[in-house]
Amino acid sequence: MRTREQVLKDLQTRFKDDIVDLLDKSPKRVYMEIKPESIVRVGSYIFKDLEARFNIASGVDARSHIEILYHFSLEYINLLISLRVKLDRKKPVIDSLTTEFKAVNWIEREMSELLGIEFKGHPEMKRLLLPDEWPEGVYPLRTDYEEWDKNAIRDRGV
Amino acid sequence: MAKSVIPIGPWHPLQEEPEFFTLTVDGETVVDMDVSIGYNHRGIEKLSEMKSFDQATFVIERICGICSTSHPFAYTRAVEDVIPVEVPDRAKYIRTIIAETERIHSHLLWLGLAGHFLGYNTIYHWVWKLREEILDVCEILTGNRNNYAIFKPGGVRRDFNMDDIPLVLRKIDGIIPTVDRLKKAILDDPVLHARLKGIGILTKEEVIDYSALGPTARASGVAKDVRKDAPYGAYDRVDWDMIVTENGDVFDKVVVRVLETYESIKIVKTCIAELPGGEIDLNIKDIPPGEGIGAHEAPRGETFHYIRSDGTNRPARHKVRAPTFMNLPTYKATVIGETISYATIILAAIDPCYCCTERMAVRDVEGKRLFGGPDLVKLSQEKTARMKREMGMP
Amino acid sequence: MKLPKARELVEAIKALIVGPYTSKFPYKPHVPYKSFRGQPKYDPDKCVGCLACEQVCPAEAIGHEDITDGGEAKRVMYHYTDTCIFCGTCELACIADNEGIKLSNDWELAFFDRKTESFETIDKELQLCEICGEVIACKDHLRWISERIGELSFSSPTLYYSKLKELGVIDENIVSALRDSGRSDRFKILCARCRRETTLT
Repeated sequence: MRTREQVLKDLQTRFKDDIVDLLDKSPKRVYMEIKPESIVRVGSYIFKDLEARFNIASGVDARSHIEILYHFSLEYINLLISLRVKLDRKKPVIDSLTTEFKAVNWIEREMSELLGIEFKGHPEMKRLLLPDEWPEGVYPLRTDYEEWDKNAIRDRGV
Repeated sequence: MAKSVIPIGPWHPLQEEPEFFTLTVDGETVVDMDVSIGYNHRGIEKLSEMKSFDQATFVIERICGICSTSHPFAYTRAVEDVIPVEVPDRAKYIRTIIAETERIHSHLLWLGLAGHFLGYNTIYHWVWKLREEILDVCEILTGNRNNYAIFKPGGVRRDFNMDDIPLVLRKIDGIIPTVDRLKKAILDDPVLHARLKGIGILTKEEVIDYSALGPTARASGVAKDVRKDAPYGAYDRVDWDMIVTENGDVFDKVVVRVLETYESIKIVKTCIAELPGGEIDLNIKDIPPGEGIGAHEAPRGETFHYIRSDGTNRPARHKVRAPTFMNLPTYKATVIGETISYATIILAAIDPCYCCTERMAVRDVEGKRLFGGPDLVKLSQEKTARMKREMGMP
Repeated sequence: MKLPKARELVEAIKALIVGPYTSKFPYKPHVPYKSFRGQPKYDPDKCVGCLACEQVCPAEAIGHEDITDGGEAKRVMYHYTDTCIFCGTCELACIADNEGIKLSNDWELAFFDRKTESFETIDKELQLCEICGEVIACKDHLRWISERIGELSFSSPTLYYSKLKELGVIDENIVSALRDSGRSDRFKILCARCRRETTLT
């Protein structure tokens, strides 16, 4: 099995042009920022060749841009690699990873409805969590989200 | 071709959770299925952004009613990862004890329900009586049967009252003989073997593809457990084994859960015996800007929390990933190709023969009704007789 | 017919002697373990009305209302039973040695009318600014602060006047003697804004 140094070095040489920034935060955590267009290549390499487990992706609205972090854990070296991509806030579009492995299917659906990120090539893009009457184009996890349902009960219900 | 759609849900009569399965069946075989979730979407990630780091613990605790330690455990670890700090030893042990007692009662609960789904209500009654003892232990240690309110970024909120410890140990020792008997009853029962073995097989490749977690993955031979892979709390100081089985069917999932109960009992007892003294809380006042990730092996698999702090006393972003979020999509791999009667236990749902018969009607292409309720009863009686003949039973 | 196994027979006989596992709850009271976290209860003597509990409560189950018109000014502290999650944060944050509000063992909290029965209240006496009538703090809270900071409380007129007034040392005679020189306002218990204005004049 490879060691932590080998894995990181391997990633750095293999994806020299794709990596924007690499933050070695602690022995167990590495944050790697990559270009959005290379997500499928880097993501599937980590998942398939490095035999990582896909933990989850978390989308963040960071006001100036929208960020997605794909967390992968490599159990054999006790390391968690978080791939960070930064997307344009006006029109966040990224390639879907679902074609590579099934574990991202649901979380991509969730992010597209909560944050309005478009995943190109997702096979079954439909609502996962929000109710049917939720209006299109209203994304609850955006920072500029405003209550659209004026009749919602917000007091103690008494 | 006569295909019909069986809806299960949106409110599960037995799992008591809102989720909606749509099984497309061809005859008795499930050919396709779809899951709709979100009926219970409470916006906790958003809610957590409105509470302070300390208060958010309680919102997080209420994500799940059964594993109410797992989410705060992962959350506090994520907050501690932002700073980063190590909690005092005593706090680590207390956290581990609570997490493991919870695992015992959660596995027992599942076991009881599984018996209930199968119509084996003796197990259900036995196990739930046993579980009461463990819930009592939780109440003695933390003050409540569930929602322990003991986690806090930087430590634990309350210390154990050491006078209660002998009673706790007595109660835990008291359940061991019954668990033993239960293990024998479940693992040697020919009916359970017949119903559960070779059903709903999840292969190793599928586990990896879906990134399934916890007992679901370990039953398929994927030895992944956060407690072993990335030790935290007191898990690296206590001797325990990871239970891994190879077959990936429903029976192996039962075996994993039963045997894990023993490991949890072992961990709790060792932790109580070795409980170190000292501080229980670091009294963290400020959370610096940054990101943190916390994970905890909940009874159902790894719970994953991601926190981003911007230097205020509220999380800027809080991502919660419950284990079921990764495990639920694997139903697509396990259920398809099985018959409806097996689908129920694979989905760990109620037996649909009872609640779905009157809703289901097999229709041919012209829409003519072929089977009514009495016909179905007759069909099932004929099938039982045929199976008996085939199995050589009297 | 198959004969029962010895194990099953033992179980059956045991069940006859021991009786059912469940308790006869409505007829017999249920006594929880002493560490059980039940409804938080105010101690009207220990509570100082500082509102620390209201600030930390994660469920917003604690509220207050300041009544300043008509008769004595008082602060009504509310604890909403229906919203409470029994987490005990209020007890841990209580400044009065964690005794102003304490979790009890009480768990039978059912009620009929949510509007009138869903909360418990206690009243605390309020100290108002003697010029503008602004709420300063509860009288007990001011006393608690001056006890805690000892002789340092003489640096804050509001603190030591409220203490002296309680002892009956300041009375109208002293205040009226100073009235002519226009400095009598300084001997009053004032809110921060009024204190600054009187000191500046």
